[in-house]
Order: sequence, then structure tokens, then C-alpha cells
Amino acid sequence: MTRSSLGKIGLGIGSIAALAALAWNYLVLPTSTQWTDEEQRLIASLSLSQLPRLPADPSNAQADNPDAAELGHVLYFDTRLSSAGAVACASCHKPERMFTDGLKLAVGAGIGNRHTPSLVGLSYSPWFYWDGRKDSQWAQALAPLEAKHEHAMTRSDLARLILSDADYSARYRSAFGALPSVDIPAGASPLGDDTERAKWEGLPETEQQAINEIFTNIGKALAAYQRKIQPGRAPFDDYADRLSRDDSSLVAQGDELAADELQGLRLFIGKAMCVTCHNGPLFTNHEFHNTGVLANPGELPSMARYDGVRLARLDPFNCLGEFSDAESAQCTELRFARDTNDLVGANKTPTLRNVDLTAPYMHGGQIADLAAVIRHYNEAPTSMLSHNEAKPLGLRPPELRALEAFMHTLTAPLATDSRWLEAP
Amino acid sequence: MKYTQQLSRLSRLSRTPQVAFALFLGFLLTLSTGLSLANDADLTGSSRGISLEIFSQLSPIEINTIHSWEVVLTDEDGAVSGATLDIVGGMPEHNHGMPTQPQITEELAPGRYLLEGVRFHMPGLWRLTASISTEKTRGRPPTVIVIDFTL
Repeated sequence: MTRSSLGKIGLGIGSIAALAALAWNYLVLPTSTQWTDEEQRLIASLSLSQLPRLPADPSNAQADNPDAAELGHVLYFDTRLSSAGAVACASCHKPERMFTDGLKLAVGAGIGNRHTPSLVGLSYSPWFYWDGRKDSQWAQALAPLEAKHEHAMTRSDLARLILSDADYSARYRSAFGALPSVDIPAGASPLGDDTERAKWEGLPETEQQAINEIFTNIGKALAAYQRKIQPGRAPFDDYADRLSRDDSSLVAQGDELAADELQGLRLFIGKAMCVTCHNGPLFTNHEFHNTGVLANPGELPSMARYDGVRLARLDPFNCLGEFSDAESAQCTELRFARDTNDLVGANKTPTLRNVDLTAPYMHGGQIADLAAVIRHYNEAPTSMLSHNEAKPLGLRPPELRALEAFMHTLTAPLATDSRWLEAP
Repeated sequence: MKYTQQLSRLSRLSRTPQVAFALFLGFLLTLSTGLSLANDADLTGSSRGISLEIFSQLSPIEINTIHSWEVVLTDEDGAVSGATLDIVGGMPEHNHGMPTQPQITEELAPGRYLLEGVRFHMPGLWRLTASISTEKTRGRPPTVIVIDFTL
């Protein structure tokens, strides 16, 4: 064989390889023009129209009391709820960023070890924190107030603020009734440093009780406010409702979703298996899954929900505790929570509503953008601890891009009155 | 199947007087044996002479909502009272269980048990496995009833 004919063969092979690479990366294969019955059912189940009324929180008797929400609104934006007067709930859960902060890790009085999750629609969840160590929104709201890297406040100083500020005292009485009339010392907390704990332990039980009561009600007011933060209808919802209304199986409908977004939707509910966890109108099952996300450098992988469920059971502010307004029979999530070994390394499924506005992603903010998140699930790497529940998906680049395009169809202004989105 | 659905099916079948008469006789016979045509159990299964019927307090059963079931056990002698009943659920295609650990907390009436803490968190095929020990089967392995259903 001559050198020139060898060259031609080489050129031919090279051209085929180049074409194959181009096709792999860019060729969009035609897909069915019809949805199957099962696909139609899944699409309908994701529409915001299917979102039920916000369930009551029996552990918080004032959860839907307008006066409690008003008090919670003021507290939420008040930096006096921190030791240095610089941190409010709104400092990290920023309304203008869908109640996230855009940072990898939360920054309050110090740097935390978790990424700030969105609060949108969170009141539908039975569990709070990435590891679900709190079983109500009010119990969750209490913890950052005393955490040293967040508000770094003491429990007694929080009670003193409510007692000493005339506006807070009046709002508190409207929402919760009489304020305990006790003289409360500064700087006492059962969770603080040695000095703060010693002060707390030196208090008579009646004073500890009075402080705990005010503290609990601060959490309940903050929860009442957060129940207002709900997602609004996005282009996807208009598409899903059109399909249901017309009882149509035709994929091409109206102009709500473009061709690549529709392809992304097909993958989302099919081959990419996103819908197994990101399901229901909030695109979350409120559950805990190990998806092989590595811990941040220098940090041990966390036990996550395995520890979280145990911490929730021990929490004095849980549904079964003395500060809860629920009957024990109403605490079904806590009483029947699973605690098995497969929860090691399992973190909470976040909502995907407005997901393109809440980067970075994952419990430690490990992944910077949506494209990288989708690549992560496509590869399904081995977990550092326990096992990754997800399996490699084998999606091609155009499919990954289609999934990302679909994510953008879940973005919409909140269904929350704008007055709640800014400081009162 | 709902009673009304059965009736409409019956009316479609009633093409000839003979068929109608035979069906009518069958209908009377069914009533006389005490079996209900209006059985609207959400899930059913049976094994080794024990029947299990599940009446969900959330019907139809939906994902992501915690709720309770009433589980009814019967055998050839009627209601099975005083049974030990353990129900676990999982997704065979995903190799994982339910997000909760449901438990029988009360026998509401003879053979009618309250199962609290039921929640499913994914659409797809679910498999329930009920292990039942009764007075009659004490000392023997429990009766196992497997029920598959899709959410």
C-alpha cells in the first residue's frame, strides 16, 4: 500500500471520528411527538396547580395567626437579633435572591459549613436543615439565633429585646398573649460558651421557663412569616395545565416551552430519572438521599440524615416536646421517622423552583452551576460515605443542555405579596 | 371496583334476557353470601388463607403526604383478631425502602388494625410486604403477603 493511500484511509477514519464526535456532542435525535399516558400523568403531577393548601402545623398554634406573621416579619429583618447587631435572618436568606445568599457557605458572625438553602415553599416540608435535624419551621428558626457562626445571640438577650422594645412587646402580646414579667439578666444561654452557660444554670427555673417561652414564640412568629414565602406560576405550569385542560398527548403545545425545554422535560420525567426525587408541585419529595456529593476540602463527610433524625428526636423543641402545641398523636413524622443505615450521607432534596436563581448548589455549595450539577448526576460518582443512590445516566451533551434548558422554565416571581419581601 | 361501575358494566352485558336473568341470580347469590360488591379497598392481597385489605385514610394514595391506613385481616372464620402485623414497603426497582417506619398502633375493631406513619416519596412501582402472625399460626413462620402497586 502506498503512503498516499494510507494517508487517504487515515483521513477517512479521522473524518468519521470527527463527525461522530460532532454528532455525539451536538446531534439532537428526533423524539416522539406524543406523550404517553404515564408521562402526561407525571407532567400534571408537577404543576403548581396541584399544590395542596399549606398543611397546618399543629406544633405551632399561631402558625396562621396574622399577628404572629407580622411580628415574624419584623424579626426576620432585624439585625438586633445578633450579638454584633449585623446579622438578621434576611442577611443570608435574601428575598431578592429567592431567599438564598449566592455564597458557597453561609456567612453570619462567622463562616458556616453549610450552603444557605432557599426558604421558598419550605413550609410544606416536614423536616428542616439539610440533614433534617429539626421537625418544624419554628424549631429550625431558633437554632441560628444562638449559633456562634450565625446570629451568635444568647437566649436571654433575645427575651430581653422583646421585653425592652415597646413595639416588640405590643406585637408579641397581640400574637401570643401576656409577656412573662420577669427581670432577665443579659448573656445567659444553655447552648453558649462557659460563661453564658454558667449564667443560665444560675437562673431560677421560673426565669429559664419564661425565657424559653419568649424564645419559642420568636421561632413560632418567624415560622408564621416564612409560611408566606411561596412559589409563583412558571412557564412550565402553564404548559402542564394546558396539556391537562385540553387532555392532549401532543408534545408541541402553545408557546410556553421551546423544543429544547420540552426535550429536557422528557428527560426529567424519563431517562434522567430526576422526577424520582424532585417530584410533586414543589419538585421535591422533602426526603433525604445520598447522591455522592463530596464533602468540601478539609471537611469530613457528614453522616447527614442518619444523625439528623437522631438529633430531631433529642431536640427539646421538637413536636413531642414541652414547647410544642401538638398532641403527641399529631407528631406522626417524628414518631414514625426512619433511622436506618441507608440514611448515612443522605441530604435533603431541595426544591427546583427558581433553581436557576439559587446557585451555587448542594449542601456545602460544592457545585457552582446548573450545568455542573447535571453533569454530576450524569456521572453519579462513588460516594465518600455509604453509597450513591443515583446511577450513571449516559446522557449526551445535547441531552444535558436540554435538561438545563428545562430548569429555566421553573423560574417565576414568588406568589407572595411584595410587602413581605422587604423590611417592614 | 365501585358498585356503580359494576352496575354499568352489568347493564352493558345485559344484551339478552337470559344473560340478564343469570346475572341477576348471581347478584342475589353474591348478596346472600355476605360478600360486598361495594368493596372499595385501596389495596388487597392474600396468602395461606388470610386476606388483607387496606383502606387508606388518604384515598387515592398520593406521594409526599403522611397518612394512616386501616388494615383488615380475615380468614375462613371471619375477622382475624389479636394478630401481630408488620408492614414494610420499598421500591424493588430502586432498592430502597419507604421514608417512614409505619407501625400498627391499635386494633380498632376485631380484625381491623390502624397503621400509622405511611408515606411514599417517589412515583413508580412499590412493593408492600406484610408479615402476619395469628393465634392459629403461633410457633410457625409468619404468613407473608406481598402487594405490588404503582403510584
